[in-house]
Amino acid sequence: MIWQLIPWMVLERTINALLQQDPNSTERLNQLAGKHFRFSFKELPFDINIAVHTDGLNLSSVDDGGELDCHVRTELGVLPELSDTANLTRLIKADKLDIDGDPMLAQQLVNLVKALDIDWEAKLAEKLGDGMAHRISALFKQSRERFQQQSEMRQRWLKGVLTEEKQVLPNRLEFELFKDDVQALRAQIERLQRKLK
Amino acid sequence: MSDKHEDGIDFGYQRVPKDAKKGLVANVFNSVAAKYDVMNDLMSMGIHRVWKRYTIDCSGVRKGMKVLDIAGGTGDLTAQFSRRVGDTGEVVLADINDAMLKVGRDKLRDKGIVGNVNCVQADAENLPFADNSFDIVTIAFGLRNVTDKPAALRSMLRVLKPGGRLLILEFSKPTTATLNQLYDFYSFNILPKMGQLVANDADSYQYLAESIRMHPDQETLKQMMSEAGYENVDYQNLTGGIVALHRGYKF
Repeated sequence: MIWQLIPWMVLERTINALLQQDPNSTERLNQLAGKHFRFSFKELPFDINIAVHTDGLNLSSVDDGGELDCHVRTELGVLPELSDTANLTRLIKADKLDIDGDPMLAQQLVNLVKALDIDWEAKLAEKLGDGMAHRISALFKQSRERFQQQSEMRQRWLKGVLTEEKQVLPNRLEFELFKDDVQALRAQIERLQRKLK
Repeated sequence: MSDKHEDGIDFGYQRVPKDAKKGLVANVFNSVAAKYDVMNDLMSMGIHRVWKRYTIDCSGVRKGMKVLDIAGGTGDLTAQFSRRVGDTGEVVLADINDAMLKVGRDKLRDKGIVGNVNCVQADAENLPFADNSFDIVTIAFGLRNVTDKPAALRSMLRVLKPGGRLLILEFSKPTTATLNQLYDFYSFNILPKMGQLVANDADSYQYLAESIRMHPDQETLKQMMSEAGYENVDYQNLTGGIVALHRGYKF
C-alpha cells in the first residue's frame, strides 16, 4: 500500500515542476486552490485523488474520507475532451462521462495541465547559455517536423492501400454518401412506421 | 503498557523515576536535533517521507482547517499541512523540546512557510489549547517518548473538535518473525553505529531502538485510544508493521 504512493509522489513532483515553469499557472492554480477532485477511470483499478493548492497539486490513490468538490467517472481517452465545454453533454449522453459536483471545476483542472505553455528554449538558455539552447531547440524542431512529415507520408500510403489499391475500406466520399443513404432510409422507415400506426 | 507500573517508567530498557523521563528524553533530542533530518533519511532510507505523506493523505485535511502537529520536531508534517490548509487555515507546530522547535521553525522559515504556522512549546500531556479547537491532531514518532501516554491521548481528545480526528504515526511491531529478526539486527547493530558515525551519538540511537521495543504494539495502542474516548479507532501497518498509523475520531 505504502509503495503505491511513490509513483504518485514522483508524478506530482514532475507536474508541479512543469507548472512552476509556466508563469500563467499561478492564476489557474489560485482559481482552484483548496478544491479536491477524484477521477475514477474505467481502465484503472484505483481512483486518483487530486488536491489543488496555490503552489501545485497533490496526487494520491488514498481515499481520505473528506469532502470532494468534484468526482469524475470516465475513461482515460475521454480526459482530453473534457477541456471543451461543448463535449460535456455529448459525453454524458454517450455514458462516457459522469460528474458529481461542478463540471466547470473538472474542466479548469484539465486545462491547468493542457494549457501549459513553457518556453523551453529560454529555460534551457538559463542552464546552457543562449547558443547551445538555440542549437538544441532548432534540432528538436527539425526532428519533430521530420517525424510529422514521415508520419503523414505513412498515413497517406496506408490510406491509399486500404481504400484505392486493396479496396478493403471506403474512402471518405463513399462513406459520406453511404451515411446519407442510411439517414434517408431511417427517415423513410420512420415515416412508414407513423403511417402504419 | 509498562506505564501502568507505579514506581517508575521505561526509558528505553531502563526503569527511571516518572518525573525524570522528560529530562532524559529532552537530553536525547537536544543531542540529535541538529542532525535529526539527516539521520531520519539515513535510518529509514528515505521511507519516513512516504510514511508521513501517507499520514497526511489519510488526514482528510481541507482548506481552512486548524491542525495541531504534536512532537512536530523539524516540521515535516507541518510544512505539508500548511500548504493544504491555505491562508484561511492554521497549523500549530508543537514540541516539548525547544531545540527541536528551533530547528523546525528555522526550516519552515527557510522554505517560506510562515503565514499560517505557529510554533508552540507544549507538553502533549497538558496541551495549552482550548477545548474543541482543532480539526486534526497528529503525532508522528512522538508518542513513545511521552511519559504518561493515556494522559496525552486524553489531552489530544480534549483539544479536538467534535468530528475531528487524531492520527498517530509511530514505530510498532513487525508482523512477521523474519522481518522482526532483520529489524532487530538492524536496530541494535547498525543503527547505533550509524548514530555514532553521523551524529557522534550512539547512545541516543540505542535509546531510539529500545524505546521502539517498549512502545505499545498495534492492538494495545488501539485499545488505549478507545479507552481514552476515541471512536472508530483503526490502524494500518506500514512497511510490514515497522510503523503503524492509528486513526481515531472524536464524535
